[in-house]
Amino acid sequence: MTRDEKKFIELINEHQGLIHKVCFMYEQDSEARNDLFQEITLQLWKSFHTFRGDSKISTWMYRIALNTAISGYRKQTRNVKTEDLREIHFNISDYHHGEHEDDLHKLQVAIRQLSEVERAMIMMALEEIPYEEIAETIGITQNNVRVRMNRIREKLRKIMSKEPWS
Amino acid sequence: MELEELKDIWNKSNKGFHLKGESELAGMLKGNSRSIIDKLKRNVWFELIVTIVAGVGLLVYAMTLPTGALKWTTVSILVLFVAYSFYYVKKLSLLRRFDPGHHDVRSSLESLIGSLSAYVNFYKRSYTLLYPVYFGLGVLFGGLETGSSRFYQLFTDTKALLLLSGSAIVFFFITTWFADWYLRKLYGNHIAKLKDVLRELNSGEM
Repeated sequence: MTRDEKKFIELINEHQGLIHKVCFMYEQDSEARNDLFQEITLQLWKSFHTFRGDSKISTWMYRIALNTAISGYRKQTRNVKTEDLREIHFNISDYHHGEHEDDLHKLQVAIRQLSEVERAMIMMALEEIPYEEIAETIGITQNNVRVRMNRIREKLRKIMSKEPWS
Repeated sequence: MELEELKDIWNKSNKGFHLKGESELAGMLKGNSRSIIDKLKRNVWFELIVTIVAGVGLLVYAMTLPTGALKWTTVSILVLFVAYSFYYVKKLSLLRRFDPGHHDVRSSLESLIGSLSAYVNFYKRSYTLLYPVYFGLGVLFGGLETGSSRFYQLFTDTKALLLLSGSAIVFFFITTWFADWYLRKLYGNHIAKLKDVLRELNSGEM
């Protein structure tokens, strides 16, 4: 393993929760999430040599991870129908230990009903990323982020209160 | 529901991911990318290498042939191969324009849509130009095969000329229709999806 590879793997190790969360937002089954994880890691590796620290490391990672998940990556067709979200059994035990946590499950299902851009924004907001950084990563104004976040919050509230949870 | 409440719920997921080990991460760096641009680049590189290898083989073969129809047929195919090599290099340069590492999501979408659209348009323009060349070569080689006197006679026979023009039109429409359908099937849906996401991003910007 080269010095660069070692340095890169340490960095990914430190921030891999971020990549896992992006994968969880954009893919439904564990195989697809693994594929996306690998793709994001590869894209980060390809850009690693040119990263000069102009932006925060998390901004750089979010930018590449979201670019890969939203635009650069063509999903394989799998036998999961996105319109039947209520019918999908999410394997939550993949993602957290212990008993099923109902609120988290509701939030995850609700988030998956948002558009791809909305998912990216709410995820960064939930991760306490400042609006300035969200605006920089997505490429829209801070004011627009604020307006959209209000709409997203309202959407989530409606979905979470209406959805018949089993 | 307030954002703070959602954050509290969200934070419950923090500790639950199965973290990947260093060796697994190191293995990932050696894999092949499945991004649309990287896949296209790999395909074009493969086509370019096959063209160059076949071209060199054909050149060696052509040099062993005596002057005649077969030699000129081989030479004209070689000329096509040279044109194809430039065509693949141009395709690669169009694909190299996209770099997801240095752009925000919106700029990256614009850049990817631009690169893919330019690639597809270049593809379309190329076959619009190349298919008539293929047809012309087909007629020429057919003529050489049947003998030059019969071939020249063809151009004085109105019926044969009409038949030839008719088949040229049918050939052109069938091949361009097929290539359009193929391109739409390969990239059309992906470009349309990317445009939808970009439209959504642009909708709130003044």
